[in-house]
Amino acid sequence: MLAQQLINGLVLGSIYALSALGFTLIFGVARVVNFAYGEFLMLGAFLTLTTMTVTGVDFFIALPLAMGMTALLSVAAYLLAIRPVMRGTDLQALLVTTGMLYVLREVAILIWGTAPRQMETGLDGALEFGDILITHQRLLAVAFLLIMVTGLYALLYKARIGRALRAVAQNRFGAETIGLNVDRVISFAFAVSGAMACVAGSLIGALYATEPSMGGSPLLKAFVIVIFGGLGSVPGAIVGGLVIGLTETLVGAYISNAFKDVFTFLIMLAVLLWRPTGLLGVRST
Amino acid sequence: MSRTVLIGLLLLGLLAPALSDYQIYLLTLTLLWSILALSMGLLLGYAGEINFGQAAFVGIAAYVSTLLRLKLGWSFWAAAPVALAVVVLCAAAVGSITMRLRGPFFVLVMLAFGEIVRLILANWQEVTGGPVGLRQITPPEPVLGLAFDTKLSFFYLVLVVLALSTLALIALVRSRTGRMFVAMREDETLAEFVGVGLSRHKLIALCISAFIAGLGGLLMGPFLTVLAPNQFSIFASVDMVVMVIVGGIGTLAGPLLGAIFLIYVPELLSFAREMRPIMMGVLLIVVTLFLPGGLIGGLLPLLRRLGGRGAARKEAQHD
Repeated sequence: MLAQQLINGLVLGSIYALSALGFTLIFGVARVVNFAYGEFLMLGAFLTLTTMTVTGVDFFIALPLAMGMTALLSVAAYLLAIRPVMRGTDLQALLVTTGMLYVLREVAILIWGTAPRQMETGLDGALEFGDILITHQRLLAVAFLLIMVTGLYALLYKARIGRALRAVAQNRFGAETIGLNVDRVISFAFAVSGAMACVAGSLIGALYATEPSMGGSPLLKAFVIVIFGGLGSVPGAIVGGLVIGLTETLVGAYISNAFKDVFTFLIMLAVLLWRPTGLLGVRST
Repeated sequence: MSRTVLIGLLLLGLLAPALSDYQIYLLTLTLLWSILALSMGLLLGYAGEINFGQAAFVGIAAYVSTLLRLKLGWSFWAAAPVALAVVVLCAAAVGSITMRLRGPFFVLVMLAFGEIVRLILANWQEVTGGPVGLRQITPPEPVLGLAFDTKLSFFYLVLVVLALSTLALIALVRSRTGRMFVAMREDETLAEFVGVGLSRHKLIALCISAFIAGLGGLLMGPFLTVLAPNQFSIFASVDMVVMVIVGGIGTLAGPLLGAIFLIYVPELLSFAREMRPIMMGVLLIVVTLFLPGGLIGGLLPLLRRLGGRGAARKEAQHD
C-alpha cells in the first residue's frame, strides 16, 4: 500500500515538476512572473488534441507539432504584450499576464467550448510489480519529465544559446553590455517555456481531461512548487514538484483527502519562514 | 477628486428613494464592490503591493460574522467587531510572514493564503457548510431605531460604510503614514534609505486594507442572503485589482469609478455579461500598456480643460 502510494506520488510529482519547469525558466531568465502560464498548458493540450483530430496522426506525432505552435504563441505573447512592460515595474508585467490569462481562457472557450474532452495517447496496459500497479499512461509522466529535464540541461549547459540564457538570467545588463541580444534570448526562453507548457498540458489533458479551465490548478501548483524550491531555479522546480506530489499523495491517503492542498500550502509557508528564497533559491538582485 | 466622490455619494443617497428596486439592487452591488475595490486601492495604489488573496479577507469577515449569527444567535452588530478583529489578526499574522519577502514572493504567498482560506471554507463541512455554503442570512437587526429590512435601507447602510471608509482613507493618505506608503511605492530602496520602515509600513497597509475588505465582507452575507466559498476565489481578488487599475491607480476615486465601470455598466447592458471575463482581460492589458493612469488619468486632463487650469490644479492637489 505504501509502495503504491509512493509510486502514485512520484507520478503526480512528475506532472507537477513538468508544469513548473517552463514557469520557473521564464522567471529565471526574464524575471517575469507569468500568470498566463497555466493557459499555455491548456492551449498546448488543445493544440495537440486538435492536431490529432484534424490530421488523424497519433499523440506522439501531434505533440511535437503542437509544441512548435505553443512555442510560437508564447513568443507572440511576449512580443505583443510582455515586452512593452519589461522596462516598467514588476506590477505592470503581473497585470499584463493576468489580463492574458483571462483573454486566452475566454478565446479557448469561444473556439473549443467548455465541455471537457478526452485525449487518447494510444498507450494501454500497465506494469505490475507484486501488488504495485502503474499504468503505461502514468509512466509517461515520469518519462516526459526525464526527457524534458535532460533536454533542458543539455540546452542550458551544452548549447551556445544556453550560455546566453544563463548570462541573461545572471545579469541582464551585463549580458547586454557584452553584446548579447537580450531581447532575442528572452524570446527564445519564452519559446522553450511554451513548448514545455505544451508537454505538461498535453500530459494532463491525456491523464485527466482537456478543457479551457484546466490551466488554473497547474498554475497554482507551479506557484507553490517554485516558492518551495526557489523561484527561477530549475533543480528547485524538480525537487519542489516531486516533494509536493509525494506530500499530497501521502497526506491524501493517510491523513485527510479534503485538506491535502491546505497541507501543501502550509508546508510552503513553513519553508518560506525558514528560507525566504526557497529551498534551492538564489538571492534575487 | 476625493471631494467629488463624496458629493457624488451624497447625491446618490438623495436620489435613491426615486429609483426602482432593480436600480437599488444594482447600486448596492456596485457600492459593495466599491468598498472592496477601495481596500485593494489602498494596498495597490499607495503601498504598491498587489494582493491576489484579498478576497480571503472578505470571506473571513463574511463567514465569521454570519456563523456567529447563524450558529450562536448573535446580532449582526455584536458579530461585526469580532469578525473584523479576526480579519485584522489574520492579516497581521500572514503579513508578518510575507512582508519580510521581496518582489514576487509577496504576490505568490498571498495568493496561496487566499487558496488556503477558500479550501478551508470549501472543505470544513461541519462548520462552513462546504461548497454549498451558508443560506438564509437575514438583514442586520434594527439598531438605534433604524431598520435594515428593506432594499433601500440596506442600500443606505452600504452607502454610509463606503462614505466613511473613503473619508478615513482620505485622512490616512494625507497623514504621515500615508506619505510613508507613497514613498515606499515610488522607490523602496530610497524610502528605506531615508528611514521608512518598509516591513512595518507594509504590514500597516495590509491590516488597514484587510479591515476595509472585512467591512465589505460583513455586508456581503445580508445582501446576497447566501455565502459560498467560490465567491471568495482568486477571481474575486483579480476583479478588485482590475477595478483599481481601470479606474485609476494611486487615487481613491479610481477604485469607485472602476467598480461602476465593471459592475454597474455590464449588469445594465445585460448582453455584456458573458463578455465580462474577456473584457476584463483586454482592459487590464490595454489600460496597463496605454493608459497607466486609468479612467481618472484619462479624465483629469478633460476636467482641467473644462474647469479652467486653477480649479483643476486644486483638484489634483486634493488627491
